[in-house]
Amino acid sequence: MPNLYRLHRAALCAAVFGIAAVSTASAEEIIIGAATAQTGVLAPYDQPALAGLRMALDELNAKGGLGGKYTVKLMIKDTRSDTAQTATVAQELIDAGAKIMITPCDADPSISAGQLTQPLGIPTLTLCGSAPVLTGAVGDVMFGTYPADNVQATAVADFAVSEGKKKVFLLTSPDTTYTANLPEYFGKVFEKKGGAIVGRGTFTMGQPDFSAEITNIKGLADKPDLIMTAAYEPDFPAFIQQLRGAGVTIPVYGADAIGTPTIKALGKLVDGVVYTAAGYAEPGSKLEAFNAAFAKYAGHAPESTYEVNGYEIGLILDQAVKTAGSDDPKAIRDAIANLKDFEGITGKITYAGTNRMPLRPVALMRYEGGEQKHVETLIPAAADVPAP
Amino acid sequence: MIAQQIINAVSLGGVYALLALGLAIVFSIVGLINFAHGELMTLSGYALLASLVLGFPFPVAVLVAVTCGALAAVAMERIAFRPMRGASVTSLLLTSFAVSSLLKVIFQNGISARPQAVAMPSWMTGAFSFGDFTIGVGPSISILVSALALIALELFLRRSVTGTAMRAAAEDFDVVRLMGIPASRIIATAFLLSGLLAGLAAMLWVAQRASVDPLMGFTPVLKAFIAAVVGGLGSLPGAVAGGFLLGIIEVLLQATLPGAIAPYRDAIVLSGVIAVLLLRPQGLIPAVRVQRS
Repeated sequence: MPNLYRLHRAALCAAVFGIAAVSTASAEEIIIGAATAQTGVLAPYDQPALAGLRMALDELNAKGGLGGKYTVKLMIKDTRSDTAQTATVAQELIDAGAKIMITPCDADPSISAGQLTQPLGIPTLTLCGSAPVLTGAVGDVMFGTYPADNVQATAVADFAVSEGKKKVFLLTSPDTTYTANLPEYFGKVFEKKGGAIVGRGTFTMGQPDFSAEITNIKGLADKPDLIMTAAYEPDFPAFIQQLRGAGVTIPVYGADAIGTPTIKALGKLVDGVVYTAAGYAEPGSKLEAFNAAFAKYAGHAPESTYEVNGYEIGLILDQAVKTAGSDDPKAIRDAIANLKDFEGITGKITYAGTNRMPLRPVALMRYEGGEQKHVETLIPAAADVPAP
Repeated sequence: MIAQQIINAVSLGGVYALLALGLAIVFSIVGLINFAHGELMTLSGYALLASLVLGFPFPVAVLVAVTCGALAAVAMERIAFRPMRGASVTSLLLTSFAVSSLLKVIFQNGISARPQAVAMPSWMTGAFSFGDFTIGVGPSISILVSALALIALELFLRRSVTGTAMRAAAEDFDVVRLMGIPASRIIATAFLLSGLLAGLAAMLWVAQRASVDPLMGFTPVLKAFIAAVVGGLGSLPGAVAGGFLLGIIEVLLQATLPGAIAPYRDAIVLSGVIAVLLLRPQGLIPAVRVQRS
């Protein structure tokens, strides 16, 4: 009776696997998939943010997991900073059972992962991607976590106006949503508040040479009071070095991507550069305590505010699972979308009533004598923020 | 303004010429386009950073960095390319891609994915004025270094025995070997020179960018490849001409294109490259190839 024997064995196998499947499910474990860059151009941004998230999840697991109930298993796969690879690893994570997805600090790969999670209703959070078009491009499962580009730009523009600046030169790069749009948002707010755009220039990311652009800036008949750009590493150091090298002393303002140890290490070269951050560690603040705890956890101090942003993602997820009372992706998504005045480390975070880019304070910082000095922290008026 | 843009163009062109020449020297002798040439630059950049961090004076740090680039090129040949000697062009090309990827990952995971700031001495980032216009010290040094390196290389190739042997090897390697000149020495020298040029180019590149990062080698090697192809693959004067031409076109387009078209700069440059190759398929100054009967 070989056939019957085979059937019997198959049934036995099925039973064993069935039991195995049931036993994993009953362990109240929730898989968070992290399709993030460990290598490539985004790695300097994804790695710190992921370190912060990992710290939060470790702490939560020690207290019983998300919502005190669901132990988190964080599955991390490298996207190599490549948009296509991001989709591939996101699919692998979904197949492995991820119920929450974490995506890189940039809009393009986050959108490619979002295309896969949207039809399945899996809540998807970008680590520090800040393009406000991101959430609209994917749909209702996609959430930003960092202050959006248009919010950051409004904060910088408000500040520039308050300083009495009248004329701006916008330096953009069409290569990413961030570098292309953020200065333009700034321009919109600046013009609305009485400023003028006296010139525009573009650059290719990764190019070594800004001399032609800089010569153009020097040749402007109408001299700008400031240059606004969203260029980041390695373009920003190259630009500022060559700008100052050419004898141009016009102040340069930027956004969150230049709040890094590398830019800080440029010292005198970046004196007076204004940029934005998700928070500022005032003495006695929660952020200062976090920074100390992170240093203990990771063995080195946080490089930027991306660490605390990653940590806050962990807290948001914990709150969302608590509110949802289940590990159902749709319930978690709804809970995040309705989050209001959630007390994070850097301040209150609100998703309710937004297009899933959070409302949260923006800290304005300035480099001075090789130090990062806090200028002010503000939440720009919603009416001032240009539409994405 | 025009004079200033010309200086910008020549300075960028000089760096491209150094890079293209590094590729061309190796290609003319072993038939290998070494795409890991950019990683030699990265390595030199990190060596500069390390020397500065260790507190070496600036000139010493530059010397260490350039030497590191040259030695790394020789080591690369010994470890990765010598076992592949005689292999097809495709295999060699793939090997160079593999070396390049491997080094990038090592830099990223071994050092840091984040660019590291390199503080150049303040006199290098300054500028001096000539009546109407100012010239940066950086671009001037860049022009000077490129010119000196090109002259030194030319002298070496024309006046020294090894140089003569290398020029002969570029024309017909087999005959040179029949004359009793050791192939390994010629090839090692070619790599040494290419590493030296990569090291020098890296110094100029880093001086402009004020930082080194694991991926910094990609753009320059691409530009050098384009320059070498336009100039005539394997031709040394061609590489120099191609480098300057590319630098000049890039700067002039960036300077003159209206804002709306400026983002298409690279596309326009590459279309120009295609046009040049349609008119002169062998490049501007083709490599000399001896016809054997």
